Amino acid sequence: MRVEYVTSNIAIAEGAMASGLRFFAGYPITPTSDILEYLAEELPKRGGVVIQLEDEIASINAVIGASWAGAKAMTATSGPGYSLMVEALSFAIITETPLVVVYVMRAGPSTGVPTRSCQYDVFQVRYGSHGNYELPVLVPWSAQEAFDLTVKAFNVSEMLRVPTVILSDAMLAHTWEKVIIRNPSELEIVNRRKPEVPPQEYMPFKPGEDLVPPMACFGDGYKVMVESLTHDERGYYSPTTEVQERMIRRLVEKVRRNSHLIVDYETYFTSSAEYMFFAYGSTARSVYALVRELRREGIRAGLYRPKTLWPFDEGGLKKVASKAKRVFVVENNVGLMYKEVARVLRDKEVISVGIIDLDVPSPDRIKEVISEWL
Amino acid sequence: MRREIIIAGRGGQGILLLGHVIGVAAAKFSNYYVTGTESYSAETRGGDSKAEIIVADSAEELGYMKVREADVAVFMYGDQLVKYSRLVRQGAVVFADSTFVTEVPERGWVLKLAPYTKIAETELGTPRVANMVALGHLVGVTKLLSTEAVEKAIEHVVKKSWVELNKKAFRRGLALTSN
Repeated sequence: MRVEYVTSNIAIAEGAMASGLRFFAGYPITPTSDILEYLAEELPKRGGVVIQLEDEIASINAVIGASWAGAKAMTATSGPGYSLMVEALSFAIITETPLVVVYVMRAGPSTGVPTRSCQYDVFQVRYGSHGNYELPVLVPWSAQEAFDLTVKAFNVSEMLRVPTVILSDAMLAHTWEKVIIRNPSELEIVNRRKPEVPPQEYMPFKPGEDLVPPMACFGDGYKVMVESLTHDERGYYSPTTEVQERMIRRLVEKVRRNSHLIVDYETYFTSSAEYMFFAYGSTARSVYALVRELRREGIRAGLYRPKTLWPFDEGGLKKVASKAKRVFVVENNVGLMYKEVARVLRDKEVISVGIIDLDVPSPDRIKEVISEWL
Repeated sequence: MRREIIIAGRGGQGILLLGHVIGVAAAKFSNYYVTGTESYSAETRGGDSKAEIIVADSAEELGYMKVREADVAVFMYGDQLVKYSRLVRQGAVVFADSTFVTEVPERGWVLKLAPYTKIAETELGTPRVANMVALGHLVGVTKLLSTEAVEKAIEHVVKKSWVELNKKAFRRGLALTSN
């Protein structure tokens, strides 16, 4: 364990290395580039490989290949780069390739303001690829949590054989904080399950009880099938409704049924809260400061802060919000996760507090907007 | 304990380095939690440069990562003092480089003026270490960090060939406290 003063980007790079990252491919993009730069310096010292490729498409495809070669692999990008990656991400989903994508949100659409922050991409990250699937998305609010959730992202990805995203933003990327960087021996590290049957009996897409198939990689001595067409348990193309349904339902259910291993949240003063705030990422920092201020003024405010945006934790939210009179969803966009919160808390008054700020909505600005409802 | 610190001046005055040394001293060489943000303009010299640092006893106390009501401020130039004075609370301890800051508005601050750049230039041989003179003054007056923690942070952050001069400048700044 060591203590450093670093940004969330560097904390993510450190978290990845602590998780056993062996391969990183990326293409520079503000505000994410320093992950690539830092890993280019540090990962080779630990025996890993870093490649800068010609674009984001090549980067994520190289990461998929590395994962099938048995390496824990990651790429990092921002909005425009993620837009290019979504096709290959869909390939990673159907082939059940464990990998981690770091997505540092910056103000768009298009090139927007590349150096500045937003929370516009909470739906794109989840639904950007084609197909019907689940995709875990973890959302840190500090540099320390960026480290911790990166470790978790690798574990989830390896455990469920699903691409997993760490969704940060430019504000966090540029904020320096104290981070406790743990060594691998001090962390719980999960590795993908390998087949236990003899090679002649191995079926590459036959799931275990957790709905996840054990994964043989190239060179393990097993028949390896990386099939992007709809496939049966043997990995053979099977264009039938029966196989399609079985495959789609399993891809979705392996995440949903194991969602207790993924979803997580923190609450602050919610047990006695009349007004409950829902906020995530950098914006939750402002809301937390505001909630403390409101408490000092005698207003019974509380904060529910998801650490995972997807799968959306309906149960956790319902439980925590059960006593709240009003729920404010504060985001650095025009109101996106609000739609999910309102859907889940149908019997509550849910108010969207969407504030556009190129850094992070300030506690004062949020207070100004919500004051008419207090 | 939670303290908000703002440091502002012009690009080239070592504002970000000063903020970074405080951050490292607090996070790595003291037992504090720290959040630091930086902003600077595109020009390499002459534009605005600002570091905001929040130091607290616990991670929970950090909250919002930007300065709203600074308890401590360092202004290395007059323009930025005027521009960012709204972020400095009444009763704050405000350090300013009197080499360039000639006028300070009445805001109920505890003012600590010294010619950091002039001292750096005439006594230490280069204006480039004025930031460390200011840091010494800040640490001497506020006692926010130990001398040892700051010197370790300087060794950690500053390029090797500059460490001794920076530490010397820091100690010169500390000595301003006794004046």
